[in-house]
Amino acid sequence: MYQNIENITFTIAFFFYIVAAISYLVLVTKLSGKVEKGATWATIAGFAFHTVAMIARTIGSQRVPFSNQYEFALSFAWGIILSFLVLYMIYRFGAIGAFVMPLGILVMGYAAMQNKTVRPLMPALQSLWLTFHVGTAILSYGAFALSAAIATIYLVDSKRTSERKILEDPVVSDILAYRVTVFGLLMLTIVIISGAIWAQKAWSRYWAWDPKETWSLITWIIYAIYIHLRLRKNWKGKMAAWFSIVGFVSVLFTFVGVNVLLPSIHSYVS
Amino acid sequence: MNKKTKKVLNFIASLKVAVVLLILIALYIVIGTLIPQHSGPQFYLDRYETLGPTILALSLDKAYSSLIFIILVILFTINLTLCTVLSLKSQFKQMSDDYYPPFNEKGEVIEEKDEKIVRALFKKRHFKVSGDKELKGAKFRWGVLGATITHIGLIILFLGGTIGNLKSDERNVTLLPTNQHYFEEEGFLLTLEEFYMTFDDDGELKQYISRVNIKDDDGTTLTKELWVNKPLHYKGLKFYQANFGWTGNLRVVDTDKQEIIAEGLLRGGRSYFVEDAHLTILLYGYYPDLAIGHGQQPVTLTNQENNPHFAVVLYQFGQPVDSYIIAPNQAICFENYNITFTHAVAYTGLLVRSDPSYPIVLTSFIVILLGMFVSFYCYPRFVSYEDGKLRTCSRRNQWVFRQSIVSDLNRLKKKD
Repeated sequence: MYQNIENITFTIAFFFYIVAAISYLVLVTKLSGKVEKGATWATIAGFAFHTVAMIARTIGSQRVPFSNQYEFALSFAWGIILSFLVLYMIYRFGAIGAFVMPLGILVMGYAAMQNKTVRPLMPALQSLWLTFHVGTAILSYGAFALSAAIATIYLVDSKRTSERKILEDPVVSDILAYRVTVFGLLMLTIVIISGAIWAQKAWSRYWAWDPKETWSLITWIIYAIYIHLRLRKNWKGKMAAWFSIVGFVSVLFTFVGVNVLLPSIHSYVS
Repeated sequence: MNKKTKKVLNFIASLKVAVVLLILIALYIVIGTLIPQHSGPQFYLDRYETLGPTILALSLDKAYSSLIFIILVILFTINLTLCTVLSLKSQFKQMSDDYYPPFNEKGEVIEEKDEKIVRALFKKRHFKVSGDKELKGAKFRWGVLGATITHIGLIILFLGGTIGNLKSDERNVTLLPTNQHYFEEEGFLLTLEEFYMTFDDDGELKQYISRVNIKDDDGTTLTKELWVNKPLHYKGLKFYQANFGWTGNLRVVDTDKQEIIAEGLLRGGRSYFVEDAHLTILLYGYYPDLAIGHGQQPVTLTNQENNPHFAVVLYQFGQPVDSYIIAPNQAICFENYNITFTHAVAYTGLLVRSDPSYPIVLTSFIVILLGMFVSFYCYPRFVSYEDGKLRTCSRRNQWVFRQSIVSDLNRLKKKD
C-alpha cells in the first residue's frame, strides 16, 4: 500500500513541479507577471505531495529514505525545493524558481530512473548517524543547487539591460548566492564531520580517503576558496557566480559521478 | 622584527599562498581518487604505460601518504598558523569598544528623523550603544574571531591527524567461540563467548554480533556484546566488529584401523596434510546457502545455513586429485580414508585499535563548527545615527544587514 501511495504522490509532485517550472519561466520571460502566485502554489502543492511520498517511503521501509541512490535523489530534490521555498518566504523572489525548479525536476527524473526496491540496511548503515549525516547532506546539496541557480541568474542578468533583468538588482542575486552558499558550506562541514565520527564508530577511522569522502572534501575546498576570496579579496559578481556553478558541478559529481565511476565504501548507495 | 622578515612572513601567511596550496592539495587528491592506490609498481607500468613512470615518480600510487602530499599539508598548516597569528592583533583591535569601521555613505543612508524610534531599534537589536551627539552601536564585535577560531580548529585537526598517524596502533584478532587473547600491555584476557548473525524475515543479514568476556588482571570481569557501529571500549582499546569467516570441523577416519586420525576446525582457504598418504585436504570454502553461479562456481545466496555445503579439493604428492562439494557429514572416500566435515563454525574478526588522537580530533571538529558558525552568523554589525541619518556597516553582509534594519525600523514605526 505504501509503495502505491509513494508512486502516486511522487508522480503528482513531479507534475506540479513541471507546472511550477513552466509558470516561473513565463514569469521570467515577462510574458505575464500574474503567474507567480500560481507557480508558487504549484511548488507548494508539489512539495506537499513530495513530502507525502517521502513519508510513505519511510513508513514502508521503516527507516528514513536516505540509503540508496533512489532515496537520496528523492531527498536531494526535496532539499532543493525546500531551500527555494524558504528563500521565497523570506525575500519573495519568485523568478529564482525558473532556475531552481528545473534542477529539482532533473534530480526527480534521475530518482525515477533508479531502482526503487526497498532493501534492508546493511549493518554499517544501521546507525542514528545516517539520519543526521544524510539529512544535513540534503540541506547542504539543496543550498548549493539554489546558490548555483541564483548565480546563473546573476550571469544572465549581467548581460541584460535593466528592464530585462530577472532580479532588478544584480547585487541582490550576488549576495543571495553568497548567503545560500555560506549555509550550504556550514551544512557540508557538518556532513563531513558527522561522516567522520560515524566512520570512526563503524570502521575505527575518521578518514579513509574513500572517493566519496575525498570528493566531499574537494567540494568543501572549492567553496572554502570561494568564501575566502569573496571576504578577503572582495571577489564578487561574475567570478563568484562561476565559483558557485563550479562548486555545484563538484556536488553533482560527488553525488552521481563517484557512485557510478569510482569504487567506494559508499557504493551501497548505488 | 625587520622589514624583510615581516615581508617574508606576510607572504607565507598570504591568502594567495593558501589558495595555491589548497588548489594543489585538491588536484593531488583528485588524482588520488582516479588512480587505483597501493597496487604495486608493475601494475602502474602495465596499465598506464607511458604515464606509469610519472605516476610512480610523483608517488601518485600512494597519493595520501606520499612525501609530496605530506609536504603540501605541512606548508598549508604553516600558512594557516602564520595567517592566524598575524591577524590576531588587528582582530583584537577591532574587538575594542572604541573601534568603528568607516560608514559607507553611498546609497546606504536610511532617513529617520525620530531619534526615539532609532534608540528603540538599537535596544531591540541589542546593540551596545555609545556617544551622545552621534549615536553609535555595535553588536557581535567578537564575531571577528570567527575565522581565527575555524583556523585554530583546522590546526588542531592536523595536529590530531599527525598524532593519530604516529601513535595509533591497529591489529586484527581472529577468534572462534571459546578462543582467548591476552592483552599483555593492558593486562586483561579477552574470551569470545559467542559470535552470531541476525537475519530479518526475508533472510537478509541484519547484524554481526560478538559476545566477549573480559577478565582483567585486577579481578574485574565483564561480558559485553559488540557489533558494527557499536565498538567496545576497554582500557584505551577499541574493539570493532570488522569481519567474519567460516571454519569447517574436519574429521579424517582411517577405515582400515577404524580410528579417527584427525579432527579439528579448518578455516576456509586452509589445508590439512595427512602425512602417511601425502594427502592434502584443502577446504576451498564453506557455502551456508549453496547455489551454483556463473562458470559453475559455487556461491552462497545468504549467510543463513539453509543449504550448507563444503567445497573440498584433494591433492596427493602436490598434484590435484579431485574436487568435491559435500554436505555436512557426507563422506569423501579416498583410499583408506573417510573425510568428512561435520559442521561449520563462524569465527569473528575483531579490529583492535588504540588511538590517542580521538579527543583531539573531536575537539577540532567542535572548534571548526563553532568558528564557522560565528564567522557566518555572528559577524560584527555596526550602526551610527546622526542628524536623522541612520547608517549601517557590516563587512560580511552589508545588504542583508541593512535590509533587516530597514524592516525592523518599519515594524517599529507601525507599532508606534
